[in-house]
Amino acid sequence: MNAMAELASLGESISTDICIMGGGIAGLTAAITLKEKSPHLDVLIVEKATTGWAGKADRGGGILAFLTPDDIPDDFIRFHVHNIGCFLEDQELLSEYAHTCNSVLDYLDAWGAKLAKERDGSWKYIKTPGVDVPWGMASVELDMCRCLRKHARKLECRFLDRTTMVDLLKEDDRVVGTIGFSIEDGGCCVVRSKATILANGSQNYRVLPMWSPGRGDGIAAAYRAGAQMRNAEFGSFVNMVHAASREVIFGAEDHMYNASGEDISARYRPGVQPDICAMSAIGWYKEYLNSNGPVRIKSDENVLQAGAEVLFASDLVWDRPAAIAFWSRLWEKGKSVEVEGAANMPEVIPGFVGEQSPVKVDHGMATTLPGLYAVGDVSYSGSAWTGAVPSPPGRIRGTGLMNAVWSARRGAMAAAAYAAGLVEIPGVDHAQAAELKERIFAPLRGDRGVSALDLVRAIQDAITPVRYSNWKSEERMREALGKVLEVKGRLADLTAADPHDLSRCNEAVSMALCAEMFYRASLERKESRGWFVREDYPETDNANWLKWIVLEDKDGEMSVSTEDIPMARYPIKV
Amino acid sequence: MNTININLDACDGCMTCVKACFANVLRWEKPAMSPVVAYAEDCVHCNVCELSCPRGCIEVIPDFAYMRWSAL
Ligand SMILES: Cc1cc2nc3c(=O)[nH]c(=O)nc-3n(C[C@H](O)[C@H](O)[C@H](O)COP(=O)(O)OP(=O)(O)OC[C@H]3O[C@@H](n4cnc5c(N)ncnc54)[C@H](O)[C@@H]3O)c2cc1C
Ligand code: SF4
Ligand code: SF4
Repeated sequence: MNAMAELASLGESISTDICIMGGGIAGLTAAITLKEKSPHLDVLIVEKATTGWAGKADRGGGILAFLTPDDIPDDFIRFHVHNIGCFLEDQELLSEYAHTCNSVLDYLDAWGAKLAKERDGSWKYIKTPGVDVPWGMASVELDMCRCLRKHARKLECRFLDRTTMVDLLKEDDRVVGTIGFSIEDGGCCVVRSKATILANGSQNYRVLPMWSPGRGDGIAAAYRAGAQMRNAEFGSFVNMVHAASREVIFGAEDHMYNASGEDISARYRPGVQPDICAMSAIGWYKEYLNSNGPVRIKSDENVLQAGAEVLFASDLVWDRPAAIAFWSRLWEKGKSVEVEGAANMPEVIPGFVGEQSPVKVDHGMATTLPGLYAVGDVSYSGSAWTGAVPSPPGRIRGTGLMNAVWSARRGAMAAAAYAAGLVEIPGVDHAQAAELKERIFAPLRGDRGVSALDLVRAIQDAITPVRYSNWKSEERMREALGKVLEVKGRLADLTAADPHDLSRCNEAVSMALCAEMFYRASLERKESRGWFVREDYPETDNANWLKWIVLEDKDGEMSVSTEDIPMARYPIKV
Repeated sequence: MNTININLDACDGCMTCVKACFANVLRWEKPAMSPVVAYAEDCVHCNVCELSCPRGCIEVIPDFAYMRWSAL
């Protein structure tokens, strides 16, 4: 049998110049950029759901945080380093972001997304009420991914939908393809490519509904292939949510009262904060420990939620029919479970989101493996321009879409340049692919074992409690890591009834790995900084911890090391 | 678990709902040429299938209790 026939014996075998894993906004941007720059390139998006409808972008706020004509890039950089990323930024990349991110709005507009404009054609924007921050918020309609898919199709990008990619194929160190399967018929699928771009999102452990597509598959695939991870400890984003519907309440963190009627927001979040931080969840937890729960918010004080309702569910500021329909329907159904009479003081709880995004990339979004690039939410923290925060919203709402488009353009350019250096699409080692196929399909072999959803719940138990993932201590994190490792020990027993269930199994494996990364990196960082808060090391320690924590697979073990931040090179000093 | 009701009598088989679901809850049944709710346990009540059905055939009824995770 020749090499191609051997590969075909494993299932569907596809060749392409550039394979993009994930058809959300980052994947679509990468595809469009590649075709605009090099129309002769064959570009394939492989998406677990359906490209254009998949991903988070069209189920979010559609806010674009950009630098308004009154905002100055250097002010943004200074503000970011002092208040958002807390000196953990790659300041050179942050500076490039600040000086070039506004182009994202022009690109989205050119590709058919609907941005709100003033009569004179300039972007219609607002400033965050109550805080003086050096950016503004423009908006885009919540059908942006469908618009981008249409544009990508015109440029002759190819799509392979309802197919999940699980592992990367390698030749020595370089990535030469991926392997996965169709969630429709379970057929194995091998893609050979000159370069591969990961655009499959962050890790959110299936906790809060709208964040659900981020299940860490790309992070796990990159890690298993030997790529380095950075900033994995910034993976515990949390939003205060309605206790009954678990729907996010914007601004809740600034209007929280304990059972004695005391204003606890003022206690835990003193001064004016640019956005959400870990302290609202930690404050909530401390009040419970002191038998001072439940925690409620005073809705009539909360101008941010009132503002969000105007922005998202009305046409008073932005006329976005799809966004208005989406948010009105969501809130309307959520209200059906609000306790009668409690609408003005609803109980709130911290809703764990996660947003771990640690795939380490350089300024061109290249990972540490040749041939592999990572863009959008999968590498937000790993790129390090963002510093000591989980991926979007991080501490600036509206950077998720901006970063997705901005980073995907950079990643696509770099991947195209890399692919141009290769004459042919590399071959794939049949034995390696066959071995991976065996591992990926193992849960389908028997009808006994543990279900993916049971293990997902066990991982959630180790990650959603505030005392483990946000109010951190050595002892509690070791306890949580123990729970994660127990799950890890049961992964070999996963059983799947069909291809959809098999995809859930792969997600459970990704979640266990990401949770282990989170706790191993968090145990290493012995200080508090930005989003990262430890009860046992409450101070920021600039003498010892101006470092990034790097994780890597070494012979099946998760190795933890540190990399000094090159502060001497950076303009803003501690 | 959330409930997704599809009124197949009014459905014209456009497939939009199957494409619209980002959690692959809905599947396309080839013999019947109609959508089917295959994995309701994965539905996260985003309502996008309901909102995008051109014939108004879909109703998503959230059961908020399916979110069993704890912050404590
Ligand atoms: C409720 C909510 C509100 C938000 N509001 C805003 C806002 O107002 N402004 C803003 O800037 N940002 C906002 N965000 C964040 C923003 O949506 C994200 O940062 C952005 O969409 C990330 O895009 P992405 O393409 O990197 O990842 P995703 O949108 O997560 O896309 C990843 C894609 O990869 C696919 N995939 C996953 N695994 C695999 C696999 N193994 N094989 C193949 N495909 C796979 C997924 O199905 C998905 O389509 C919000 C997010 C949420 C959830
Ligand atoms: S509500 Fe959302 S998640 Fe549920 S079936 Fe419809 S599209 Fe899918
Ligand atoms: S979107 Fe509506 S009409 Fe179209 S297939 Fe689904 S249920 Fe039928």
